[in-house]
Amino acid sequence: DLRRCLISTDVHTIEESFRGIKKAIQAKDIFQNVTILSPSETLHSIKPSDVCCVTKNLLAFYMDRVFKDHLEPNPQILRKISSIANSFLSMQKTLQQCQKQRLCHCGQEATNATRIIHDNYDQLEVRSAAIKSLGELDIFLAWIDKHHHGTSA
Amino acid sequence: DAVAVLPAPQNLSVQSTNMKHVLTWSPVVVPEEIIHYSVEYQGEYESLYMSHIWIPSSWCSPTAGPECDITDDITATVPYNLRVRAVLGSQTSAWSTLKQPFNQNSTILTPPGMEVTQDGFHLVIKLEDLGPQFEYFVAYWRKESGAEEHVKMVMNGGVPVHLETMEPGSAYCVKAQTFVKAIGRHSAFSQAECVKVQGETLPL
Repeated sequence: DLRRCLISTDVHTIEESFRGIKKAIQAKDIFQNVTILSPSETLHSIKPSDVCCVTKNLLAFYMDRVFKDHLEPNPQILRKISSIANSFLSMQKTLQQCQKQRLCHCGQEATNATRIIHDNYDQLEVRSAAIKSLGELDIFLAWIDKHHHGTSA
Repeated sequence: DAVAVLPAPQNLSVQSTNMKHVLTWSPVVVPEEIIHYSVEYQGEYESLYMSHIWIPSSWCSPTAGPECDITDDITATVPYNLRVRAVLGSQTSAWSTLKQPFNQNSTILTPPGMEVTQDGFHLVIKLEDLGPQFEYFVAYWRKESGAEEHVKMVMNGGVPVHLETMEPGSAYCVKAQTFVKAIGRHSAFSQAECVKVQGETLPL
């Protein structure tokens, strides 16, 4: 059953929020030669049938770890992060509907990809890991945009 | 915290129409003093994961009037908590929090304003521009029994859109509604407006 569980949330609005803080966030990332989402190996090899699971897992990664581990003093940046976090929460609710209809199966590759990302995160001190993951949001957003076109479930 | 001798604002409420959201409250009155207010919000994410985090409103931290346009702060379709306090110099009141969290999916959607004109034999519509979140469904038909209704989706308001090339001597009617994808809702249809080729707009 190739029917996938798709998110209809307008990712471009989220991308716009991220563009507003990208430079400021990435400037605080002191480990430039390290990556957490590592696009070449992890996200690009995800099969269509694993898209829902990886999306769900990465939304949870950002909601449960990244946004919580990052302490932001600047109100303007805080507003943008809040906007992204609440949009992710809205997307998560959409995916929860899919889970009820058992459309969000996790294959081994999806589980591996998620574990790699968490392992990469754990390699760094938590604040550094959070700031780096925030700075890599555009990788995740581009991946969502690419894999979640078409009709929603 | 400063002792809260300054009374806290009361009667908080949100008026939301066409995805414009305004928080209002009863003004705090202290004779011969000018009171300012500070507005903060937290989305459902903050209330679930980081409940101590409140974010200063984009336009109202501080503000002089007893109201605040929170449209730019409400950016996701989740419940938002809102709170206000009065400020007088270094004194601040206690926070007053909106009783019910606000969700943008409760906004009132009104039918769009529209201008139906004819350019020669061309039926043209110009819709009210309600902002980037709005799409428009336009229905139009030839005013005769059994006429088929055509539908056109218009992505932007504020620009003339060609609907149909009209038959001489015939009349055509148009109505429109808005659709907001972020909340998955649409407005009611507007009143239909009709034009007769080479004639004025006919009253209904």
